[in-house]
Amino acid sequence: MRILVVEDEPKVASFIRRALEEESYAVDVCADGAGGLDWAQTINYDLIILDLMLPGLPGVEVLKRTRAAGIKTPVMILTARSEVDQRVKGLDAGADDYLTKPFAIEELLARARALLRRSGGAPSGILQVEDVVLNPVTREVTRGDQRLEFTTKEYALLEYLMRNAGRVLTRSMIAEHVWDLDFDTFTNVIDVYISYLRNKIDKGRERSLIQTIRGSGYMMRSDG
Amino acid sequence: MNNTSIRVRLTLWYGSALALILLLFAVALYLVMSRALREQVDASLDEAAAVAIRTLGEHRFGPFLIFEDLSQEFPELALLDKFFQIFGPAGQVTIQSSNIQSREIPLSQTAFRASLAGESTFESVQFTKGVSLRLLSVPIRQGEQLVNILRVGTSLRPTDRMLRRLLVGLYIASPVALLMSLMGGWFLAGRALRPVHAITQAARRITAGDWSQRILTPHSNDEIGQLASTFNDMIGRLEVSFKQIRQFSADASHELRTPLTITKGETELALRRPRQAEDYRVVLESNLEEIDRMSRIVDELLFLSRADLGEIKLKMFPVQLDDLFREIHQQAAVLGKERSIQTVITKIEPVVVEGDDLRLRELLLNLVDNAVKYSQEGQTVELALVVEGNQAKIIVQDHGIGIAPENHSRVFDRFYRTDEARAHAAKGTGLGLAICKWIVEVHLGTIELQSTVHGGSCFTVFLPLSSPTI
Repeated sequence: MRILVVEDEPKVASFIRRALEEESYAVDVCADGAGGLDWAQTINYDLIILDLMLPGLPGVEVLKRTRAAGIKTPVMILTARSEVDQRVKGLDAGADDYLTKPFAIEELLARARALLRRSGGAPSGILQVEDVVLNPVTREVTRGDQRLEFTTKEYALLEYLMRNAGRVLTRSMIAEHVWDLDFDTFTNVIDVYISYLRNKIDKGRERSLIQTIRGSGYMMRSDG
Repeated sequence: MNNTSIRVRLTLWYGSALALILLLFAVALYLVMSRALREQVDASLDEAAAVAIRTLGEHRFGPFLIFEDLSQEFPELALLDKFFQIFGPAGQVTIQSSNIQSREIPLSQTAFRASLAGESTFESVQFTKGVSLRLLSVPIRQGEQLVNILRVGTSLRPTDRMLRRLLVGLYIASPVALLMSLMGGWFLAGRALRPVHAITQAARRITAGDWSQRILTPHSNDEIGQLASTFNDMIGRLEVSFKQIRQFSADASHELRTPLTITKGETELALRRPRQAEDYRVVLESNLEEIDRMSRIVDELLFLSRADLGEIKLKMFPVQLDDLFREIHQQAAVLGKERSIQTVITKIEPVVVEGDDLRLRELLLNLVDNAVKYSQEGQTVELALVVEGNQAKIIVQDHGIGIAPENHSRVFDRFYRTDEARAHAAKGTGLGLAICKWIVEVHLGTIELQSTVHGGSCFTVFLPLSSPTI
């Protein structure tokens, strides 16, 4: 899951980024409205967290133009508590949720999960492929009765694959959703992580849950 | 009485004054009228007597003259409203006109005595049956000898009737006039006080928080018009300062919200799971930085609000500005050390200004701190202190991010920060320059800014020199 944070206050942006990264999301931070609009249109994000008080292009304007460009990515806006009309304008401009500053970090994460779940189409939030079960809230992955341990990157990759089970995912799609802007697409990091995942979830299985689609990428087998 | 409206009071005062005037007028009119009528009666009696005496003289004055001869010769003597009597020298009636008929109107003692002395007498007599008479007795003499006394009389009834009619007229007309003018006064007072009512209504609506209210002023420049326009001016000024205060508190809460968001976010994030000691140290350092920022904002806010209320007392003494300048220069070197920003004094002259040492230090430190804060790494900040005319000129020049010309007027506003300054790593409170401006102004100086984006900023402060006599 890849998230764009548009926030001009560096320290606020910094702790939001760290909190999201701890939850194994890939996070990009942009400090101004024009840049945020640019990135939102170039990269296929799963969620955008947008501060409304931005230098240059105001947040509401960024939101309007993003929606005008046909981008359906869920957007959560950050506002000050006193600015009710800002919140209303933001929601009317196409925001899906809002959070007032100062906010509790757990609430930010819970709302982010809720928005991602809604767009992912799995209402309960729990993902399952054959005997592998992933709970995005507790970030626990089990296979049968056995609990599996993953690094944050491995987990993020697994979650992305499971969310899109039955769909072919190209390497660039995976890079876009699991890694952030610092990722170098010319390395074979994705292949390496896929093999890590296979080692952990395919033990004793005849066919790997993760299929390699020659020439294009990978696909998580759907049930059955 | 305090509860009675001005309208009622005005009307009552107006009515009382008018009633008094009407009363005086009526009394005067009555007196003047009655006196004029009396004089008219007396004049006609005089005239009749003169005519009679002339006629009697022409007829070779004799004791047996009869009235009919008289009236034949002069028909006007027979007019109904006058009667004649001629008395002998002893006061007995000899002839009298027929319109007296059988009534007895004897000659009074006063008239008789006056006649003996050769003088005419006017008398008013209340006759029986309520008829008032006016009588004139004139002595007719031959040499020193009193021959006859002529008396002419007339009834006062027409005069009395006329006066009574006047009195009745006044009795009826005065209250009517009073009532009408009271109504007029009530109407006029209401009309005059209508704008006052409008002012009250407007003031009442404003109390409810609607500052856009204005009183519709009539296009007059009278007292009420002036009151209304003064009131409107006052509302305008209040509206402006009310908006400023609202903006100020909104800005203040926004400025405090950012460090609160950061400390809350960092702390919560740190507490989510066990971490390395080093991680905690980083969080605590960050939080300390934000706490410092909050306390600086609070301090500066307090300073400015106290300055607004005039609670900051300045201790004005001659200050050796060049000494202060060198001290600040040393502090600036420390401020810029980390980012290797050099501060140099390009020119310095001995200058003494009248001022508060502490505030001037704060002014210089704020300006130099800003210059260092918004400089890029490795740049220099230049300071100069010179005498120009009768003013000290302080120049603080940096080569940092600069300020766009369209924002020059606003950088001294409270909480105003340019987008560039907001994006800058080292955060100000947005209040420093507002405080600088206040300090300069209480020292009767001026502060100017020359700057372009990325072209650095140059703040120039002029302070009046201390006069040598002090």
